[in-house]
Amino acid sequence: MSLLQTTNVVKRFGGLIAVNKMTFSLDEGRIVSIIGPNGAGKTTFFNSLTGIYKPEEGQIQFKNHSLIGLRPDQVAATGIARTFQNIRLFGSMTVIENIMVGMHIRLKQNPIDILFRTRHFNAEELEAEQRASEWMEYVGLKNVGNELARNLPYGGQRRIEIARALAANPTLLLLDEPTAGMNPNESEDAIKLFRRIRDDKGITILMIEHDMRVVMGISEYISVMDYGEKIAEGTPQEIRSNQRVIEAYLGRGAAVAHEQKH
Amino acid sequence: MKTLFSDLYKKLNTGFWPILIVFAFLVVGSISVYLSPRSLSAFLILITTPLILYFMKINMKIKIFIGLLLIIVILPVLGIRNIFYLEVIFQMAVFAALALGLNIVVGMAGLLDLGYVAFYAVGAYAWAIFGSKQMSLLHSIPGAAPANAPFFLDPRWFWLFIFLGVGLAAFTGILLGLPVLRVKGDYLAIVTLGFGEVVRVLALNLDKPINLTNGPQGITPIQRPPLPPEAVMQVFRNLLTPLVGHPPTDAEFYNVFFYFLALVIIAIAILVATRLEDSRIGRAWTAIREDETAAIAMGIPLVKMKLAAFAAGASFAGAVGALYAANRTFVSPETFSFLQSIGVLTMVILGGLGSIPGVIFGAAAVVLLNIQVLQNFSLYLSELRQSDAVIPIINFAWKNLSNQLDPAKYQKLVFGIILVLMMIFRPSGLIPAERRKRELVEDKE
Amino acid sequence: MKQFAASPVYKFFLFPIGQIIMFALGSSVGLSLITVLLAYVFKFNVTNFDLVERSLLILPQVVINGLTIGFVYSTIALGYTMVYGVLEFINFAHSEIFMVGGIVGVQLIAYFEHLGILATLNQYLVIALAIILAIIISGSLAVTVERVAYKPLRGAPKLVPLISAIGMSFFLQDAVRLILSLTTGEFNVILPQFGTFDEFLLVALPGMADPLRIQIKSVIIVGIAVLMLVVLNFLVNGTKVGKAIRAVAQDRPSASLMGINVSQIISITFLVGGALGGAAGVLFALKATKLDPFVGFFPGLKAFTSAVLGGIGNLTGALLGGLVLGLLESFAASYLSIFTNGAFGAEYKDIFAFAILIVVLIFRPSGLLGETVGQKA
Repeated sequence: MSLLQTTNVVKRFGGLIAVNKMTFSLDEGRIVSIIGPNGAGKTTFFNSLTGIYKPEEGQIQFKNHSLIGLRPDQVAATGIARTFQNIRLFGSMTVIENIMVGMHIRLKQNPIDILFRTRHFNAEELEAEQRASEWMEYVGLKNVGNELARNLPYGGQRRIEIARALAANPTLLLLDEPTAGMNPNESEDAIKLFRRIRDDKGITILMIEHDMRVVMGISEYISVMDYGEKIAEGTPQEIRSNQRVIEAYLGRGAAVAHEQKH
Repeated sequence: MKTLFSDLYKKLNTGFWPILIVFAFLVVGSISVYLSPRSLSAFLILITTPLILYFMKINMKIKIFIGLLLIIVILPVLGIRNIFYLEVIFQMAVFAALALGLNIVVGMAGLLDLGYVAFYAVGAYAWAIFGSKQMSLLHSIPGAAPANAPFFLDPRWFWLFIFLGVGLAAFTGILLGLPVLRVKGDYLAIVTLGFGEVVRVLALNLDKPINLTNGPQGITPIQRPPLPPEAVMQVFRNLLTPLVGHPPTDAEFYNVFFYFLALVIIAIAILVATRLEDSRIGRAWTAIREDETAAIAMGIPLVKMKLAAFAAGASFAGAVGALYAANRTFVSPETFSFLQSIGVLTMVILGGLGSIPGVIFGAAAVVLLNIQVLQNFSLYLSELRQSDAVIPIINFAWKNLSNQLDPAKYQKLVFGIILVLMMIFRPSGLIPAERRKRELVEDKE
Repeated sequence: MKQFAASPVYKFFLFPIGQIIMFALGSSVGLSLITVLLAYVFKFNVTNFDLVERSLLILPQVVINGLTIGFVYSTIALGYTMVYGVLEFINFAHSEIFMVGGIVGVQLIAYFEHLGILATLNQYLVIALAIILAIIISGSLAVTVERVAYKPLRGAPKLVPLISAIGMSFFLQDAVRLILSLTTGEFNVILPQFGTFDEFLLVALPGMADPLRIQIKSVIIVGIAVLMLVVLNFLVNGTKVGKAIRAVAQDRPSASLMGINVSQIISITFLVGGALGGAAGVLFALKATKLDPFVGFFPGLKAFTSAVLGGIGNLTGALLGGLVLGLLESFAASYLSIFTNGAFGAEYKDIFAFAILIVVLIFRPSGLLGETVGQKA
């Protein structure tokens, strides 16, 4: 049984069809990538999954429940956490607070607890703070807990965004171009981190990625989008030699040249 | 220049200096106000003491002791000697509580509310209508009230109405918030402004079909809660007589009484604000302020959290409203104008959006500016106008200065300049917000 | 036919005027019908006279009042909507730009009176001069305000320039008050009586016993407003500057890459918006006859409501929104009291606009003519 299943999802903006009849399924415990040229509709698809956009047609099933019509916060509560293409941290909050925001849905404190600082509140806050620290170290950062998020270097911000998503204890982690702007070494570390997340925590990872070394290095399965449609899917091996994918990326002429080389 | 100041600040903030400075301010301020109750500069020295205290590095326990000494003993005693100062401090406390409430909405959650005084009005009118004779006058035309109409409730009900004000204002906040919190941020500003005007216009016009608010004339007299029993009063009277120099009258006691009431409210307001800030809810508000899309993706329900901010902010205003109505024994629609909303906003901006010490400072500074500095300036000008003095170089006789030029009436100018300058040069305020530093396990290596 | 549609006379003259007439007629007729219907509904409430008959009797006057104030709102609303279109920013101080225009215009006319030449000058020339002066002063004031209070804040979080604009609005109110107080000793300004503006044109309507009475100044206000709307339409849609404004409004970074001087275009937008606001101020002064430095607040807010009602950023929408709001307000002021038997009356007309604003924002945030734009994640 697949963890996430979308059927014929369509998202339009006026006359533009950004996502067209996207049918896609994702098994639990896998690392899967969605690739495709710029403007192929990958991020729009992510936004449709997470409730930021309301798809006009189609079904989205997560853990056998429909996500259609849910608000983004309700989607998050079902166990889907995400990062953003252009990092969206809460810049004027500290790193620890950012990660604690990720725990929002897991914390049980109510206004009475908060106003009267009940024992439950204190215990929960302390635990949350500790867990946040642990997540920070888990993604490979040390001694920055009290720094403002906006003061961290780029790579650190990427990591904090992942820690913030992990803090929600998700079943599914959506990463939107997680290694964009990283140098090869950093990308290598990121790949290791993603593997660790899946192996230690059993979290399923779906990511949008442009860096082919990352995609081929980590994905167990790849879906390719172009003009809002899924044009291919398969293992990295299969995708590498798929004619339509090469066409989509390099244009028809290049694809022919590629053919002749073989 | 800047380094000169910060060097000086650092030098004065080590060793024995801080405590010496604080004591100097405290003693000089107290004695000079005691000796010359009418002097503005004496009052200024005294009133900056808490600010100095806040910035100086002193042992926390000593700090709290000095603070309490100032607030609980020195200010009331000096306040009875010159009741006007107690009034100024009362207003500071009232506006500080309002600013703390607005700070939750604007500073923490990032929702620009330009109609904040509407909630203040709700609290004030709640006690005004039930704590006066108004309920007996529902069917009489404003101004034509029978003189012998009875008060509707016993004055002790006031205590309940403080809480009722909290509830009513929070409820109004939710009622307004439900439809409008879905709109975009900058529209929200205009809608709340409109709401503020709606409440004011309702207060102005709901003297018909039934006379609920008594229209533009406002409601008076409004009852005050009774003073403590005579036995308790006698103790205070004996205690205070030698300090003040005369046995305090009931009117003076009432001022002290309301001063302490305002202190209690502001203490609760600070407590509530800090506790909310440092919690799941406060973090959610800040997250919403920083990035709505990211916040909602983290599972934060936007509308619910914004409603919570609106209700929490409004509830402060509700309590203060009831207090204000009882203190003045009079409310009228003009107290709740757009100018007041902007005034409170100015306090929050001047002190620092999201900064709890900042907005309290902002409230104190703006109140001081408004009812002390501008007022005094006005008096000074009118004295000049009556004199034969002439401005030297341009040869302009003060006598010819227009009577319209009354600085106390130019609050808008002052607020406007503060807002624009702060936004351009120091948008985070004079005492900017700081995030709490946590003692994390990882730091202890 | 196609050729005709492309001709400048059609595009920049006949079409916009046709559109204005259509909007004015459409909203007047629509609201009148609703009112008559309501009159039948509320008939039971009123026993001492025939509600329907009374309603019909005052209807033409209500429509004329509504259209007159509606055109003023439209002209102010254009300033809000242009700036919002380009900067996504509510220029809160626009109501003061409008106020300054009105006061400058009145002061000029008062100065003519002081010189003793007001009676001898042609009344239309006087109005024209007042409007031209108001356009110059308000336009340059708007540009100055932008330079001083908004430009340094570009790129800051959205609330920052908005708060600065609120501050500017307050500052201008009291600054004008200060200047007036120091120079004239008081801050109310009163439009001197001159010309034949207060007289009525009598228009005989078929089927009605009394002729319709239209005040000459209403005709002038509407006429000048229409003229300005046509000129603005030409400026935005028919000139190179207009094209640049539209380009900046759609996509500022790209426009900048195409070699458009964005700062300059923003200044021009403020200039044009301010000029319209200033002119509207004079028109408003003609109607109100007495102004003070705080007079901009309500018309400003209503004009903003009009802009939102029509779809903010949309120039045609501002026109339609202004007309609809002016009419709605006029209808509310006249009929609320009749329909509720005096329980509620014209005193609620100022908050009527806000009720409309809230309803629009809830049910159709993009306004009557606006398009829904997908939010970016």
